[in-house]
Parts: sequence; C-alpha cells; structure tokens
Amino acid sequence: MGSYVARRLLYGVLTFFGITIAVFVLLHSVPGDPIAFYVGTHGMGHLSRAALDALRHEHHLDRPLAEQYLWWVRGVFTLDFGRSIVDHRPVFDRILEKLPNTIELNVIAFLLSAALGVPIGLWSATRSGRPAERASAVLFFLLYSLPSFWVALLLMQFFSVKLGVLPLLGMTSDNYLEFGALQKLIDHGRHLVLPVITLSYAQMAIFARFSKSAVTEVIRQDYITTARAKGAGPGLVLWRHAFRNALIPLITLLGLTIPYLLSGSIIVEQIFQWDGIGRLYFDSILSRDYATVLALTVITAVATLVASLLSDMLYALADPRIRFEDNPR
Amino acid sequence: MRDQVAAGTTRWRRFRRSRLAVWALVYVAAVCVIAAFAPLIASDSSPIVPFGPNSIDLARRLEPPDAIHRLGTDDLGRDVLARIIHGTRVSLSVGLMATAIALVVGSVLGALAGYYGGAADWIVSRLIEVVLCFPFLLLVLAIVALFRPSLLTIMIALGLTSWTTEARFVRAEFLRIRDMDFAQAARASGARDSRIIFRHLLPNALAPVLVSASFGVASAILIESALSFLGMGVPPPTASWGNILRTAELHIDYAWWLALFPGIAIFVTVAAFNIIGDRFRDALDPRAD
Repeated sequence: MGSYVARRLLYGVLTFFGITIAVFVLLHSVPGDPIAFYVGTHGMGHLSRAALDALRHEHHLDRPLAEQYLWWVRGVFTLDFGRSIVDHRPVFDRILEKLPNTIELNVIAFLLSAALGVPIGLWSATRSGRPAERASAVLFFLLYSLPSFWVALLLMQFFSVKLGVLPLLGMTSDNYLEFGALQKLIDHGRHLVLPVITLSYAQMAIFARFSKSAVTEVIRQDYITTARAKGAGPGLVLWRHAFRNALIPLITLLGLTIPYLLSGSIIVEQIFQWDGIGRLYFDSILSRDYATVLALTVITAVATLVASLLSDMLYALADPRIRFEDNPR
Repeated sequence: MRDQVAAGTTRWRRFRRSRLAVWALVYVAAVCVIAAFAPLIASDSSPIVPFGPNSIDLARRLEPPDAIHRLGTDDLGRDVLARIIHGTRVSLSVGLMATAIALVVGSVLGALAGYYGGAADWIVSRLIEVVLCFPFLLLVLAIVALFRPSLLTIMIALGLTSWTTEARFVRAEFLRIRDMDFAQAARASGARDSRIIFRHLLPNALAPVLVSASFGVASAILIESALSFLGMGVPPPTASWGNILRTAELHIDYAWWLALFPGIAIFVTVAAFNIIGDRFRDALDPRAD
C-alpha cells in the first residue's frame, strides 16, 4: 500500500507540473499583448511609454518566458496568483469571493443527482431486460444528449416567463436586503431551483448508468449466487451483498464528476447570471485578464487532480486487488 | 480477410437488432444530405424553402411560425428554418473534423505507447493524465476565445482536447495484438516498425475506436453549439444552431420558436450519434451473444 500511494503521489506532482506548463505555454502563445489590450479597452491611450513599461514590469511581462513561468509557479504554491489586470486586486481574493456561490450550486446539484441517480440505477439493475428498465435506459440516454443551455432556456421560458412562479436570473431579488431572515432564505432558494435542475439532470443520468453497470457486474458474481442459495431475500442480497461492493467503482465517479460539474457551471452561471467562478472565468477571458484565467484554470485542474488522487486511494483502500495488481512492469 | 468480412457482417446483424439505432443511422444520413445540398434546399430562388439563411426582411421581424415562414423568423426577419438547414453544415463539419483530428492524434499516440511500451508508454500515459485534469469546456473555451473564434479554431481546439479516449483504446488494442502471429510474421519478414504499426496493427485496432468516434461527434456538436450560444463560436452572421439560440435568449419573454426548433435539431442530432455509438459498442462486445 505504501509504495502504491508513493507512486500515485509522485505522478500527481508530475501531473501538477504538466498542468501548469501546459496552461502557461497555451496562454503565452496567444497573439496579442495583454497590456496593449488593457490600455485600449480602458481608454488609457494617453499613458506614456515609461508608464506602460512599468505596468509590464509589475506583471513580470518583460522577463523571458521561462522566468515568467517560475515567477508564476512560485506564486501558485503560496496562493499568490498576482493581481488582476482589470481592477488591480489580488486574483486569489477575487476568486475566493465568488467560490462559495459556485460550491453551493455544485454541492446541491451533486447531492441531488446522486440521491436520485443511484437508487434509479439500483432499481434498473434488478429489473435488467424488462420493458420498464429498457425504456428508462433509453430515456436516460436521451437525457444525457440534451444541451444544458437549451434546457435552461426552456425552463426559464416556462417557469419564469409563462407561469411566472420562479425568478428568471440572478441569485437574489432586487429588494433582497429589505427581507427578514426567513424571507431571504426562501428568496435565495427560489433562485436556486432552475440552475440546480439544469446542472443535475445529466449528472443524474450518469449516476444512474454508472451505478447500474456496477451493480450488474456484482450481481453476476458467485458470492451473490451463494447468498441467494443460502436463502437471503432479494432486498437483503441487493443492499447487504451487492450494493456494498458496487460502491467501490462509484468512488471513481467522484473524481470524474468534478471537472464535469465545473464545465457545466460555466454555462449555467452564464445563463442564470449566477455570480460564481464560472462567470468570473468567462468575463476574464473576454477582458484578456491572463492572471485570473491562469489561476482559475490551474485551480480547477489541481482540484480535479486531487479528487482523482483521493478516489484512487480510496479505491485501493477498499479493494486490495488494485494495489497488488497495479505493479509497474 | 474473409474472417474480417464475416466479423463485419455479424456486427452489422447485431447492430440492426436495435430499431432505434437503425433510425438514428437513417437520420444521420438525411442530415448529411441536407448539409451537402443546403444552398439548393434553402435559398431565395429555391422551391423548397424560398429563403436564404441571411435574407433579411425587417418588415417581418420575430414572427411566429406561419404558412410562409414555417418555423418563424428571428429578430432580423431571417427565416429560422433556412438558418437551421444551413446550420447543419457548421454542426456536421465541426463534429466530423474535430473527431477526425482527435482520431489521428489519439491513434498515433496510443499506437506509439502500445507498440513500444516503456518510456513511450510512460510519456503518453502522463500526457493523458494531464489533459484529463482540465475541465473540458474550460480548456476549449480558453483556446477558442484567446485565438479568436472561427470554424477552424473550434475544430482544432475540440480535436486537440478530446483525443484521450481514442488514445487509451488504441493503446489497449495494441498491447493485445502486437505480439500476435500476424504481427510476428510481419516482423520476421523484415517490415519496418512504421509499416507494422500503420499497415498491420492499426487497421486491426480501429473497431473500438469507432465507438468513441461516434460519441466524439456527439459531444463535439454539443460543445460547438454551446460555444456559439455563449458567443464564442462561429461568428455571425453565419447560421449555426447555437447562434440562433443566442438570439432566442435575448427574446426569451416572447419568441418561443427561436428557442424550441434549433434546440430540437441539436438534441436529436446529438442523441442520434450517441445511440449509434452505444449500439455499436454493444455490437462489438463479444459477451453480447
């Protein structure tokens, strides 16, 4: 186990440097000078050459590329991602400010889709091949093909415009500050409904599909037959014997879910004007705010890396076969 | 050779077992025809849809579907049906080209990793790990936006970020077949490595890759429409499904037809490619019989 963990961690470190180099090279191969762009959009054409050079120096943009990279990676370790070219505030502060909104949305969506998807997957595993199960499999497949921004548009059109029961945009109503505590909670909850649905329906389909195939795989095993032969009822077999073992592959889904949710966040936050890091990312790209784009890309990629490392280790902890089988050739 | 043909027939027979998948295949063929003949089907002089995708009619802005404009008009009075028909070209070309790029990159890297093993395998595996850490849309959005949105940028960005599945499939197949008799025979008769890889092994490793290619087209079409919707896709006035939906967002309180019809086009097309891929995967699975 020790050597397995050590190897995974070493690869994790390598991947981290791979991520940072990839992002850095990508952003700096882009045509166009961020300083020139900034000056152009902020009506600062009157700035002297010396002032421009000072600005460039402040952001280390006058150094060789390799040195710029080292400056930046050193900052990553100390969570210092430099200052935003938009408002000169530290990038990390700007991200921290928006992060809770994104986490709130994603955690609720994740829990909802797991709470609905896993039981549906279990249910269909026990009814494999029957008409109801087949129909639900096709249905989930179609759900997965729905473009989320289209679903969002239709939801807005139906619930907000036609019925007028749910708010169209934003995280709170305009007169939010005048509300009492309970009213505030209700108001915010109403704003959450449509974004959460948009974010979770496809995720739920993935959960259902994944847990179904995991349980189906387990049900074929000999020890399930043994349990049945000993006279255990179908409910007992499913929950005590099958589900507990099917949970192991579900762990890996955890690592796969995070990048998926974050991708979804960009679209959902943009459509519903939810003030999270997805929107911040989009705005930063539009204003060529390199520091913020770099920071967000790296933070999300590293979060994904950590999640996949954790899920690998949980997996190895839960299933001893992994850590003994997976020896390097 | 005969074995391969026989295997192909069996797969096709298994594929046909799902009526839904056959319909999906027919639909995809029909969309391809529409895309190829879009300028003939929908133009100002066409008898079928008598509007071009960019024929502006300011007197008939935002009109709901009627006998003349069967799917309504947008905020410049352009015919929505004509724009959807021309939009097939963007969606299909992005879907197919992005997947082709992913297929080439993934196959070559996967082949090198699987054939040589050792250091090559190690490097490719680490590379895959790095790419998989990035939230897909985030990376594509960054590439497209920073290098200016165009049809070409989108294809390249999607292709260069989605080759990992293909690479893993090809690598696994190569590990399985690289020491089989026919590969040994080629080696014994003095063939160069490149010939063994591309002429002997790769054609035998491609079947599972086609499954992921079908899913790949579906996801590329989905992402392209999302990019266009966010204003980072094919620049207007080019008609694309995502671009129409972008207009729909501006008129959400009124113009339901702008949101409904292009969305259905995206959904059905993406679903068709997913269904084909799913069925194809089952047809390849030897456990299925």
